[in-house]
Amino acid sequence: MDETVAEYIRRTVLKIPRDEIKAMLQTWGFLSEAQLQTLNFHQIKDNISQDIVQLCEENSADIKQAAVLDMIYNHIYPNKRMWSVYRMNKTGEETEFFDITDFKKKFKRRLRSALKNVTINFREYEDNAIWIRIAWGTPYTKPNQYKTSYVVYHSQTPYVFISASILKSNLPLLCQALVIASNYRDIHEMELRSHSLDSLKDIVFKRYSQNFQTYYPRPVPKRDVSPERDVRIIQENKNEKERIERVNREGFGDGPLPKLEFAQYMLETMFKSDPKMDVLDKKEPFRCLVKFSSPHLLESLKALAPAGMADAPISPLLTCIPQKARNYFKIREKKGLFAGSFVSP
Amino acid sequence: MESEDGAVRTLPGSGRCSRGLLFGRTHGRTGLSSRSRLLQPPSLSQKNVDHQRTAFLLRKQWTLYSVTPLYRFSDAHLKDYARLLSAFVAAEKQKGLAVEVGVELDIKVSFSSFPDLRGSDQDQAAILVQLSSRSGASRKNSEEKLLWSGWFCSVSGEDFSENVPEDFTCLPLFLTNGAESYTAIVGSWFQKTFDCYFRRLAISPLNLTWMAAMWTGCKVDKNVPALELVFSVPHLPQPLDISYAIHPEDAKALWDTVQKTPGEVTQKEVDVFMDCLYSHFHRHFKIHLSAAKLVKVSTAIASAHCSGIIKFLQSQYLTGVLMLLTELAISQIE
Repeated sequence: MDETVAEYIRRTVLKIPRDEIKAMLQTWGFLSEAQLQTLNFHQIKDNISQDIVQLCEENSADIKQAAVLDMIYNHIYPNKRMWSVYRMNKTGEETEFFDITDFKKKFKRRLRSALKNVTINFREYEDNAIWIRIAWGTPYTKPNQYKTSYVVYHSQTPYVFISASILKSNLPLLCQALVIASNYRDIHEMELRSHSLDSLKDIVFKRYSQNFQTYYPRPVPKRDVSPERDVRIIQENKNEKERIERVNREGFGDGPLPKLEFAQYMLETMFKSDPKMDVLDKKEPFRCLVKFSSPHLLESLKALAPAGMADAPISPLLTCIPQKARNYFKIREKKGLFAGSFVSP
Repeated sequence: MESEDGAVRTLPGSGRCSRGLLFGRTHGRTGLSSRSRLLQPPSLSQKNVDHQRTAFLLRKQWTLYSVTPLYRFSDAHLKDYARLLSAFVAAEKQKGLAVEVGVELDIKVSFSSFPDLRGSDQDQAAILVQLSSRSGASRKNSEEKLLWSGWFCSVSGEDFSENVPEDFTCLPLFLTNGAESYTAIVGSWFQKTFDCYFRRLAISPLNLTWMAAMWTGCKVDKNVPALELVFSVPHLPQPLDISYAIHPEDAKALWDTVQKTPGEVTQKEVDVFMDCLYSHFHRHFKIHLSAAKLVKVSTAIASAHCSGIIKFLQSQYLTGVLMLLTELAISQIE
């Protein structure tokens, strides 16, 4: 077995949390159950991975087989990577029958005709997701297995999720190969990025709960008025609080929100001030870059108005993120008579 | 208030000025915000800060401390101090408080004086302490690696040093770069030897807004970075950070219409500047940024973090920044 393959397997195993190693090896299926029985998972990880490499050596693993283990790891831990969303456009309206074999053949052919040195792996999952792992080389060097690109393509949709981590030069080639293989006309990058692959899917596949208009009035929840409760104590601003809750729910929806980590706004709007303040009055845009970050951005934005930190309703620039399926925006001033409003992104 | 503002005038380049009125404070250094501040120490124009020597201060992260006056410190004895501190560091290492395990480090200590780094002759010259390692068995060819730097300084701290007894030296601002463990060792030696007390210097959001306003107006020639304000909203179910960066030309254009007197900044002007930025933000996002916690400010001159970390980016304005930091250190001591 090649030394580089051995090292690659060793490093891949080290990434896996100790409790998951056995399960992942079983999914991988490269080592027999008997071989797995010989492994002691209670030693330090360094030793576990060495033992696994030893067994792989016995089975003469090659790089493509090793790559499958990496794919399994990334499928279970996709959030370790940053994903961008791309959308492909078709020529006509016909939904063609998707032939996976044809797709794989065309994809490999396009990449290999441009670059001799690439490692390409495919793996299909139940939800019609096709995972593609690509390790890139150059005409003179072998593929770098540590700087791989991952592509997740749901064949029934025009959406592709790409985690690049490659030189920019390989990205057009990758996009081209996807378009050719899937029989689309072209592909463009959406302004939507996140570590949470599932959340990106939720957003573009509209799997989060939308706001539905209810045409029947909701029954007012009855307050439990226990005899001990002092009726002299009233909650001030109760109406306002309820209004804020209601308006906030309308903006963000009721259900769980997709998990995004950031949103970025490039502002090219005018600076407007109270003329009494005697400050800047320029005819050019006041250029700003605003970036919101949070472990769960939409949830934290939703909490701002009830916390008193934002008006209710909060700006549609924030609530539109899931509907518009983007978290990168460029905001310009709306031209025309009503200069007080904004161009919708 | 109005007369105070009116009283605060200084002619740039004039060495003599009435120190009491200059800062316009009615309550002295009780920690209340100043009504007005200068951008540079008044006598600066007469000093040529040696940019070569101070270049090493730039673009490094310095942790800030306030230091109470040092008892019986003399800059004539720097070599002795270096020797004593060196012995102390070696002793600490013996005790097992070494920083790196298994690496034989021969640590060399140096003390040097920086007469350029002060606001006026009434300030004590800055003192730089450096710990370097000489690795390897052969002392001849060994490379010296700088492990840790710390410097004491005072820029325009005369009001404070004037009121302190004879035997004490006032260098209220202490800046460190390097491993925390070395800071602890050097700090405890100074505490033992000069009976002083160190405290981390936190920078309040109010003072951060001063920095944002003051430094935005400074003229910088090339490669001007944006004015960036970083806010944190920690008490939500999911914490939120907001970075608000304004194009440096636009920020300066705004500030230029707010600031009325060159070389000097008032509280009111800072408030107006910040209100403009907050309301521009609110117009777009309906979020009250003023209710969030300002934790970091980055400008072309310097960047500062509320936990007391500073980075100097321009040698031209170094003393101006140090003057502000000295003032904050003194406020914390008093």
